[in-house]
Amino acid sequence: MGRLVLRRLSATVPVLFLVTAGVFLLLHLTPGDPIDVMMAESVDATVKETLRRELGLDRPIHVQYAAWMGRLLQGDLGRSIRNGEPVIENVSRRLRPSLELAFFAMTISLLVAFPVGIVSAIRRNTAIDRAGATFALFGICMPNFLLALLLIFFFGVTLRWLPISGYTDPLEEPWNGVRSLALPAITLGLALAAVVTRTLRSSLLEALTEDYVRTARAKGLSEWRVIWGHVLKNALIPVVTVLGLQLGTLIGGAVITEYVFALPGVGRLVVDAVFARDYPLVQGVVLLIAVGFIVSNLVVDVLYGWIDPRIRSR
Amino acid sequence: MATTNPRAALDVSRRNFLRLFAAASGASLVSRDPRAALAAEPKRGGTLRVGFYIEAATMDPHLSGSKIDRQVYHNIYEPLVTLDVKLGIKPGLAESWQQPDSKTVVFKLRRGVKFHDGTDFNAEAARFNFNRMKTEPKSVRKGEVASIDSVDVVDAYTIKINLKRPDAALLATLTDRAGMMVSPKVAQEKGSELERNAKGAGTGPFEFVEWVKDSHLVIKRNDNYWNKQGGPYLDRVRYRPIPDDTVKLQSLQTGEIDVMDYVQPRDVAAVKADRSVVVVDVPSLADFAYQLNHTRPPFTTKALRQAVAYALDLEQIVKGVWLNVGVPANGPIPPTSWAYDRGIPPIKRDLAKVKAKLAEGGQPGGFTFTMTTNNIPINVQEAEVIQAQLREAGITMKIKLVDSATLISDGNNKNFEMISYQWSGRPDPDGNTYQFYKTTPGTSLNWSGISNPQIDALLDKSREVSSQAERKKLFSELTKILQDELPMVFIVHPIEPKAFSPKVQGYEPIPDGMMRFKDVWLA
Amino acid sequence: MLRRAARARLAPFGAAVVVLASLVALAAPLVAPYDPLAQDLGATLAPPGRGHLLGTDNVGRDVLSRVIWGTRVSLLAGLVSVVLAVFAGSALGLVAGYCGGRVDGVVMRVMDAVLSFPPLVLALALGAVLGAGLTGVLLALGVVYTPTFARLMRGQVLSIAARDYVDAARALGAPAWRIAARHVVPNAINPIIVQASLSVAFAILAEASLSFLGLGIQPPQASWGSMINAGRGYLQQAPWIVFGPGAALFVTVVALNFVGDAVRDALDPRTRE
Repeated sequence: MGRLVLRRLSATVPVLFLVTAGVFLLLHLTPGDPIDVMMAESVDATVKETLRRELGLDRPIHVQYAAWMGRLLQGDLGRSIRNGEPVIENVSRRLRPSLELAFFAMTISLLVAFPVGIVSAIRRNTAIDRAGATFALFGICMPNFLLALLLIFFFGVTLRWLPISGYTDPLEEPWNGVRSLALPAITLGLALAAVVTRTLRSSLLEALTEDYVRTARAKGLSEWRVIWGHVLKNALIPVVTVLGLQLGTLIGGAVITEYVFALPGVGRLVVDAVFARDYPLVQGVVLLIAVGFIVSNLVVDVLYGWIDPRIRSR
Repeated sequence: MATTNPRAALDVSRRNFLRLFAAASGASLVSRDPRAALAAEPKRGGTLRVGFYIEAATMDPHLSGSKIDRQVYHNIYEPLVTLDVKLGIKPGLAESWQQPDSKTVVFKLRRGVKFHDGTDFNAEAARFNFNRMKTEPKSVRKGEVASIDSVDVVDAYTIKINLKRPDAALLATLTDRAGMMVSPKVAQEKGSELERNAKGAGTGPFEFVEWVKDSHLVIKRNDNYWNKQGGPYLDRVRYRPIPDDTVKLQSLQTGEIDVMDYVQPRDVAAVKADRSVVVVDVPSLADFAYQLNHTRPPFTTKALRQAVAYALDLEQIVKGVWLNVGVPANGPIPPTSWAYDRGIPPIKRDLAKVKAKLAEGGQPGGFTFTMTTNNIPINVQEAEVIQAQLREAGITMKIKLVDSATLISDGNNKNFEMISYQWSGRPDPDGNTYQFYKTTPGTSLNWSGISNPQIDALLDKSREVSSQAERKKLFSELTKILQDELPMVFIVHPIEPKAFSPKVQGYEPIPDGMMRFKDVWLA
Repeated sequence: MLRRAARARLAPFGAAVVVLASLVALAAPLVAPYDPLAQDLGATLAPPGRGHLLGTDNVGRDVLSRVIWGTRVSLLAGLVSVVLAVFAGSALGLVAGYCGGRVDGVVMRVMDAVLSFPPLVLALALGAVLGAGLTGVLLALGVVYTPTFARLMRGQVLSIAARDYVDAARALGAPAWRIAARHVVPNAINPIIVQASLSVAFAILAEASLSFLGLGIQPPQASWGSMINAGRGYLQQAPWIVFGPGAALFVTVVALNFVGDAVRDALDPRTRE
């Protein structure tokens, strides 16, 4: 297992290099300049020049990249241009709401997907199954920005049950925190629930055709016992895959949801940083998102081994 | 103007202003404000929750380049002089001032003022601040205090500012960040830490408490505030960034915040009908226009610039896009300013003239150009309306939407034909004109690239002359020339409505749009 | 099986919607009751009714007509970006799988990099570099979907290349391109088609999301996403600006999913049984 992890990690080094170089190049090709954005209403060219020199923005692109790489190898992600704060602090502050949001969204999706998926598999081809399938389709096809707007409209503005914007840390104020994350978590969770439901249902159905299930049924076990006792664990692998792949997306990619609900998460950080041309910040966040994506893939593989020992030996 | 009596100057401008103001907003603000009826006694206490569109960038006023920072500064820092509701200059940390000659200003400073860290505010502190603005490498104030040569300490509470050249706009400049006084002790001890933490740094009615980035910024009442009249009443003010306008408004309606900095024109009518929210129209200093590139075809040709100007129906734009939350612009100077000339009408639509100008410009069949504008809903809407109006006049306009970083870069590099320019405005008309129309090589806000000796002379003269009446004449002349030369087509002077929960009392709208909470209280 | 039957009923429905949408897109000028760009500042935010079936927007344009014209943009965006990805991805996958070794390593690492790149950053940057517009978004989406097809094609190549008849062809001295064209591509095409048909729906959603953030189609033209973006500020006063294009988007994506499922049932041997 350790060797697998090591091998996989070393394979990610070139990928990360490509990602950072790509971001760097794209950003610098993009018109606009961080200092101009910062001082949009000032024309003092000397001040701007001084700042640019101080930040090394006057040097050629490859020199800047090399400098950035050099600092990175020493574990330094640099500082944000806009507010002078170390990138790592900036990101770790933003990571918390994103992780919490991802956690709640996954919780919601599992709470919905497991009952719906299991019932659909057992009562396959009944009205219940079709209702479940319709729900899943709805979740997959609903654009999350539309869902977010509708949720705000109904729960926030019309019924006024839940706050529609802002973030309270659930670890500090549990009740208010959960309330502040409720609507965004539902927005993300519903789409995720749809994917998980589909995956769970089809993998359950596949597992139900296996020999050991027939044996179990022959022993006279009820359908529920068969599922609980035998099938579920084996049907979990695709679900874990889906969740793992989605985790990376949830943390870095919940941009629209974070934007609409004014949540200070990583996704919004990236977009704001791109708009401000805050080069070091964009670089740092993209790198960390990429690392997160790769790690979550790795975790999925490790979990595979735990769920299905046959894979471990390979 | 040997001696400036602030009161006298104020009286003149007040009369002037009231008239303009009524013209600007269509009604008197005071009578429309429903809270005028509630003449209750102010109450102490409570936390005011404020929603802003973006987070502050820095707490150091000398390093600040972002408009939003000023909203917080005007509650924790104080400038030497301040603006009143009518844009008159009134005493701030300076009690009075004199101008013995056109290149000298003497300020008598207020006694008994302490910074929040307990140190005294005095002449030495003031000099320290001006030197810091001029010499600190990262200072963003350098351009604003460029006319200042040196600052002398005359006695413990008197400073003398020596100017390199006459600067009629200086006092107005000192009403904002360039006049704000930071505790020398805090600035020296904290260094760059001041950017994140302004504890002890100001003299204002509120003290900095904490700033949790991306979450909130809190200030609390300064119980030792020097001015014992009126507030501060509020225990605390809590600022929160809410970037989405719709969500911000809904947060106000659902009671999650008490104040929001700006209501979009599209929401004004609905919000005014909503009893749970009070809207106050604050006329602004702003000047929204499109710069025309004089250095590249088609707008190297004056007749084609004029053709575009005559093709626009400003009334319709202001009514249809801005929903009358603003007034059609006749030039760069807003109706809130003493320099605004009501005698000059905005350019009127005249399709016959467009035809003539197109022929004169050698394009009788019309021509095609591209407008570059910011990707924000109201800009898009305005661009679409302008596009339709130009099409009726036989001119084809393409729209290029960009983010603000690209917009600024395109403007600075003169990489555009027509580009949106939304200037937040300055209290002195100089701030809305000089840097846009004065011949300047290289990068500047003169994106159009206009270079006109007559305009240059007028602009320079307006800085040297100190009589307000005479300056006003110069600016009127300037406005007329601008309407002919058209470095920009002027569109609108927007009103910037702010919205409050009905329990918020005592807010005084000043056209610079800053929300000063000294006398605000919660019913 | 019942589910298959249900699908069998849904597929024609989906196909009908997709065909209808395509026809509407092609015949937009004939179908739209109004000029989608014609403004009427005197009749802004008019509710749905006789004159305007889906109401008017913030500059008084007919929402229905704009939804109809927006169909063009949305369908085009979905198709073009997926076609780009299919071609680029298949070519890369083919090369990687066939050449193997170092080429394979490089190509697949680049694909991994693209996969772990936040798609939005890519779209933002491409939009800024290429100038705002549909092109940037189409390219960005094309790039985002490329690795999927590259992986798929590479996998197919590896499994097919090991088969006897390919070995035989190689032994007979057939050049690599002919082997690819004759044997590999035809065998790999089914899974690619399945994946492509499902991707179109997501590409349409993605274009709408990017338009929602203000990237993509330039005004005054509209796509469903940009209409929803323009209308979100009016959700309280004039929800129809959002509901019209929102419904169109949702129904189209659902229909495309039905079609995609049907295509998979027909072509994928694993579900065919």
